[in-house]
Amino acid sequence: MDKIKRKRERLEIIFDILKIIRNHQNSIKPTPLLRYSNLSSQRFSEYLTELLDKGFVKEIDDEKGKRFLTLTDKGFTYLKKYKLILGFIEEFEL
Amino acid sequence: MLIHPFDYSRLAVELSYTLIIVFFCFMIYIKTKEMYDLTKYKGIQYFRITFLFFGLAYLFRFSFILFLLIGVTFDDYSLSIAFKFVPLVLSGYFSTMAILSLTYSTIWKKIHFKHTLLISNVIAIFISGIALISIDPFPLILSQAILLIFTIAYPIYSKSKKVSPLFILYIMFFLFWVINLLTLYTKRFLPFEIQILLNVVSIVLIGIIYYKVYRWTK
Repeated sequence: MDKIKRKRERLEIIFDILKIIRNHQNSIKPTPLLRYSNLSSQRFSEYLTELLDKGFVKEIDDEKGKRFLTLTDKGFTYLKKYKLILGFIEEFEL
Repeated sequence: MLIHPFDYSRLAVELSYTLIIVFFCFMIYIKTKEMYDLTKYKGIQYFRITFLFFGLAYLFRFSFILFLLIGVTFDDYSLSIAFKFVPLVLSGYFSTMAILSLTYSTIWKKIHFKHTLLISNVIAIFISGIALISIDPFPLILSQAILLIFTIAYPIYSKSKKVSPLFILYIMFFLFWVINLLTLYTKRFLPFEIQILLNVVSIVLIGIIYYKVYRWTK
């Protein structure tokens, strides 16, 4: 698989994960997110770590101490700009 | 003491030209920051640093011309050589980095180089080193022209990239940069009208690139 394809997939996977979180009232547990994202647990873990490190997603605990994932402003910005980013990459053949 | 009258017309043309080009280059760099911060995408990274390098190359090109005009006016070539030398070397370095970065931004998907930044720096230092040793723009022009030929030939030869209108736009922008280096000579290598025409075409080319960027980043 060539690098562009992997790169495109990476941007797309990030978009899909963020979209799933947003579509669940911006609050979802890691296990259902893994299921909806159609990734292996290892790849999901890598992506989740990346999203947390980059500040797209943050972890919150409810009153019962259960962990939920929620989008940050940066995560929402990514969702908003995703189509533009893809268009830019296409336009400039990057 | 003034030996020759100062060439204000040339200074005005060069200053205006440089300011416009540098404005577009830095605006492209600034406008693409958010996209890069969000994605850390390699192609965007190389694309935006290209215009940062080009902006710096144009600024140092202008510094060179300024010291050249001062040297001519005061008939003090030793002084002018001492001051011209740094801008010439830096202009050579940054423009080489710009050409290599833009080329790599469009071919990195197909051709995988290791240590791209290191290799680019070695080539850029080598080319600016030629300018340093010669203290003359000609070797710089020649080496950048050769680099430009490789830039055109390599992707076509390796069939890594089809020749698209955008690729032609990039090549023309590079080509006009190299032709513009001819203005670094004391005597006008090109007629003033031709030089202004070249400047206008360069501005139009960078303007088109900026407009394309603006459409996606406004």
